[in-house]
Amino acid sequence: MEQDAQLVQQCLQGDGSAWEELVRRHSRRIFNICYRFTGNRTEAEDLSQDVFLRVYRTLGSYRSAHGGFATWMTSVTRNLLIDHYRRTKRDRITDSLDDAMPVVENKQSSARRPDEQALLGELSQQVQSALTRLSPELREAVILRDLQQLEYSEIQTVLEVPEGTVKSRINRGRIELARILQQMGVRPS
Amino acid sequence: MKWTCEQTELYLTDYLDGALADDLRHAFDAHVNACDRCTPLVSGVTHALSGLRALPELETPPRLVYNILDATLGPRETVTGWAAVRAWIRGVASPRFAYGSLSLAATFLMIVTASGFNWKKPRLADLAPSNIYRNTNRQAHLAYARGTKYVSDLRVVYEIQSRLRQDNELPTNNEGTVPESSPQKEPGRTDGTSPSTPRQQNRANDANPSLQVLAEELPVLSTRLCFVLSEGRTR
Repeated sequence: MEQDAQLVQQCLQGDGSAWEELVRRHSRRIFNICYRFTGNRTEAEDLSQDVFLRVYRTLGSYRSAHGGFATWMTSVTRNLLIDHYRRTKRDRITDSLDDAMPVVENKQSSARRPDEQALLGELSQQVQSALTRLSPELREAVILRDLQQLEYSEIQTVLEVPEGTVKSRINRGRIELARILQQMGVRPS
Repeated sequence: MKWTCEQTELYLTDYLDGALADDLRHAFDAHVNACDRCTPLVSGVTHALSGLRALPELETPPRLVYNILDATLGPRETVTGWAAVRAWIRGVASPRFAYGSLSLAATFLMIVTASGFNWKKPRLADLAPSNIYRNTNRQAHLAYARGTKYVSDLRVVYEIQSRLRQDNELPTNNEGTVPESSPQKEPGRTDGTSPSTPRQQNRANDANPSLQVLAEELPVLSTRLCFVLSEGRTR
C-alpha cells in the first residue's frame, strides 16, 4: 500500500516508469472486476483501459489519507462500470427478453469465443452467467466481497453506502445468485 | 429462542462468514435443520458461494498493458536500423552476459578436449554425443592404465634401490669392526687394495642375475638398471 502511494508520488512528478509499474501491478485485478461485472472479455478490456485512463487523468485527486490506492482505483472502476451499465441499458432490454428463456441463454453462452470456452469450465461459465443476471448493485457487492475478498469497510468506501447496506446487498446478492443457479438447474459442488 | 425464516435470510451472511454469536448460531442451526424452506436456501447459498470462489482469476490480455501505456504515456519510441544493432550489441556486451558466455565456452572446450577431440584435424562426427561419450570413456581408461603402470614401475625401482642399499650397508659395518691400525693383509695380494669380503661378494653375485631379469622384463628401466649392474660389478 505504501509502495503504491510512493509510486503515485513519482507519477505526479512525471516518472513514466512509476506509472508503468502501477499499471502492471493493478491491471489484472481491474480486468477481472470488469470481466466478472460485464461477462464479456472485449468489453472488460475496453473498460479496463478506460479505468486506467481516468486514473491517470485524476491521479492528482488521490489522497492516501482517505484510503489505499487499490480501494480508490476500485471506486473509479465501479463508477465506470455503473456508467457503462446505464449507457448500455437500452441494448440489454432486448437481451433481457432472451434472458428469460434458459434455452436462449445457453445459446448465448455457446456463442462465446472458443478461447473463452476453453478458459471457463462449464460450471464457471454457468456461475458467471448467473452473476451477470444479478442487478448491478447486488452484483458489484458480491464481486467485491466474494471474488475480490474486500473487507466490509473497503466495500463501504467503494460503494459509498453505510455498512449495513453493504451487508444487506451482499446477503441478498448471494441468495439471488443461489436462486438463479437453481433455476438454471445448476448445483455447484 | 423463537427463530423465523426471515431471520435466517437476514443473518445468513453473518452465519456463512462465521460472524454470528454462539447463541444465535445455535438457534440458526436448530431452525434450519427443522425448516423445509430454510434448509435448501442455506445449502443453495453455500453451494453458490463455493462456485463463486472457485471462479479462476483470469490472466490479463497480452496487449492490455501496452495499450494502456500507449494511451497514457504516448506511443513508445521504437529503435530501428543501426541504433537497434548498437542496442543489441550493448546488451550482449554486458559483463553478466560475457561472463556467462565465457564460462560456457570454457566448459565446452574442457569436455571436448577431455574426450580426445583432435583440434588439428577436427571432424564433425567427433562432436556427436555418442562419440564424445565413447572417447571420454576411452581416455579415462587410458589415464587409469597409465597411472597404474607408473605406480607399479615406481614400486619396482624402490624395491631395487632398497636391496642395493641393504647390500652396500653390510660391508661398511664389517669394516667398522676392524681397527685401522692393523690392516688385514690377504695372502697373494700385492696392489694394496681392499676388496670386498667373500660374503659381500657372494651377495652381489646373487643380486646381479635377478636384476638382469628385471631389466629384461622392464625395458623402461633397462638403462638405469644396466648402470646399476655395471656399478655393482666394478665393486
